Amino acid sequence: MSHSTHPASGDEGFAVTTHALSKRYGGEPALDRVELRVPEGAVYVLIGPNGAGKSTTFKILMNLERPDSGSAEVFGLDTGRQGPKARAQVGYVPERQDSGYRAMTCGRLLQHVAAYYSTWDHAYAEQLTRALDLRLQRRVGGLSKGEARRLQLVMALAHRPPLLLLDEPTDGLDPLVRKRVLALLTEHLADTPTTVLISTHHVYEMETLADHVGVLRDGRLVAQLDRDELKRTVRRYRIEVPEGWESPPEFRVAADASRSPNRRELQWTLVGDERSVAEKLALTGARVREVTSLGLEDAALAFLDGEVTG
Amino acid sequence: MLVTLDPRDARPLYLQIMDEVRRALVLGTLRAEDPLPSVRELASELVVNPRTVSQAYRELEREGVVYVRRGQGTFVAPEFDRDRQERDALARAVAKRALIEARRNGLGVDELVTMIREVAADEEAEPSRSAYAANEGEKQ
Amino acid sequence: MTQPVLQPVLQPVLHSTPRPRDVLREQVRALGIAIKLPAVVAVALAALATILVASRLFDAGKPIDFAPELSMLPGIVGLLLPIGVWRGEDRFGAGLLWTLPVDRRHHALTRVCAGWVWLMAAVALFVLWLFAITLISGGNVTAESTILVLPSSVVPEPGTLDAASLESVRWTPRPLLWLVPFTSATGAYLLASAFALGTRHPIRWLVGAVLTFFAFLGFAEAAHSRVLLQGGNRVLVALMDGPYGIDALLTARTESLHTEATLSTGEKVGVWRGLPDLGQWVKATLLWTSVGLAALWAAASRHRERRRG
Repeated sequence: MSHSTHPASGDEGFAVTTHALSKRYGGEPALDRVELRVPEGAVYVLIGPNGAGKSTTFKILMNLERPDSGSAEVFGLDTGRQGPKARAQVGYVPERQDSGYRAMTCGRLLQHVAAYYSTWDHAYAEQLTRALDLRLQRRVGGLSKGEARRLQLVMALAHRPPLLLLDEPTDGLDPLVRKRVLALLTEHLADTPTTVLISTHHVYEMETLADHVGVLRDGRLVAQLDRDELKRTVRRYRIEVPEGWESPPEFRVAADASRSPNRRELQWTLVGDERSVAEKLALTGARVREVTSLGLEDAALAFLDGEVTG
Repeated sequence: MLVTLDPRDARPLYLQIMDEVRRALVLGTLRAEDPLPSVRELASELVVNPRTVSQAYRELEREGVVYVRRGQGTFVAPEFDRDRQERDALARAVAKRALIEARRNGLGVDELVTMIREVAADEEAEPSRSAYAANEGEKQ
Repeated sequence: MTQPVLQPVLQPVLHSTPRPRDVLREQVRALGIAIKLPAVVAVALAALATILVASRLFDAGKPIDFAPELSMLPGIVGLLLPIGVWRGEDRFGAGLLWTLPVDRRHHALTRVCAGWVWLMAAVALFVLWLFAITLISGGNVTAESTILVLPSSVVPEPGTLDAASLESVRWTPRPLLWLVPFTSATGAYLLASAFALGTRHPIRWLVGAVLTFFAFLGFAEAAHSRVLLQGGNRVLVALMDGPYGIDALLTARTESLHTEATLSTGEKVGVWRGLPDLGQWVKATLLWTSVGLAALWAAASRHRERRRG
């Protein structure tokens, strides 16, 4: 059962759509009939355990990988058949990237990339360079991981694309720089009508910025909803249970279920409409003492651990 | 204007932002005709999608709390009768939080109300032990 | 309070892809930076060569003739250039080249073309340098010379050759042969580019080819198979020195046709096994260039945009 909000009508208003996108590596499914829907103007964070799924999605959108079945679109442009045009709308920060321009300076590489994008904003590129402390005379081949990542960010943002595909963009950056990157990204959103699809291990960083969440588990998109709905449907319940109470089969125990020493109190993270969950619990003889809502990361992770049907 | 967002708060972000603006109005840190931080500034400070900030500002404008001066930004509206409304809305939010906290500690509504009056009375008797000072002490 | 509707973002105006000529220009510029180092090395070598030639001039007093044989060098440069062009680029992964908004097959070919532009420039400079040396040393620019031609294409055993059987021919290389450095470099470059672009691990292929060759030799010798050895030898000769072989491409066969023979008098003399044929050279060049272009297209197609049916 999927928890998702996307209009039943057509795919208008979506920056990114995938249709039954599937990809296997060896025996493992990296993507399994994924129906991604990223609304225009949204900041969509893709969450999931370490595996090929998230990066594969980005690569397919950039037509660097070919899916086994299904298709993907960026602003209605098929990423396979209209690859160059689709990529012209995108600013991409990949997990890693090797270019043959080792001997070039960073400044020269920026000029090089600028030649490919008619919308390149030179003043903005300069501004970003200064904000990210990039030394333009450094050779591309001699950059540290963090510097390379910052350079990629400038390359992605400077031409003000309508879509940003950021695959672990803050990876390899120290915490202070990460904060600066997020602030820059927010300012970028204020100045440029942009949609952002971002995957990151540091989900807590996206706590306030993300307004849509997608959770990938074993290649399946087990959840896709906006933050408000996520916050509404995922709650932590503190319940009082009678002696000898056993958790009924339809409630799969989430990883952080904990029992207090006297085995009368239980703490669970459950997914579902609060009222119906409380009713269900009451039917089994448990009493709900307290319900708290969770931060974005914990709420999304609940989908990775356990689900309540209904 | 100091705006903080509570990650645990289940309310939509734009509502939280609106409440923070109201809080500033009631506290007096924001007065009539004062400029609000620009959407860009506030979004950057809070690391929030600027569209959310825009939404909050638009709603506040719809309610007449703020207005937009073309080319200059958003400003607090000149009239001040809303003060009453703002105070009510703010008080309501505070009461809600207090109730949640009380329930979590197993206290009932009447218990809480009684205790609030008691503590307030103590405060008047000994100003140095006021709730405000205690709060500051907690922070340190 | 009712939930207000989020204002929809206006459909963005789609950004355009760059013009092909801008892409080519940028690739040429970018490659210029990439090959700066080897270029400097080449210039240093040329300076060294100039000094050596000049010293030989003062010693021997003999003028330098403009010789098409030296077009081996452009061929070798053409062969090696793709290493510099493609070094470091993640050709089979998420290389920067593939993430840019250009059709990938075209982009790969554009880069090869950019490399070719630099190659032609280098070859032109090389030819000019040769000209200058020849002129300065008072040599014969038209490379007209009297050459000795053997009666048959088979080189006779040392000591059996009679001076009288040699034919003295006044040979002037046709002006068209001055194109040889350019065409040989181009042909070699196309073939090497196809190899560099199309194979994931070119080094493995090279090593594999060399090992296979020696394995074949070893096997043929161990089996004492004359058929294999002679057959293999024949194939190799045809491929290298034949009328349409590699040497035809590289030097219009002036390299393979020119050899040394020992006269019956014991004197060693430079002879030719035959005259270079212009028609053959043109055909050979066309053949190898076509093969190179076809291979290059196939190699570039390995990186084409993945469309789905």
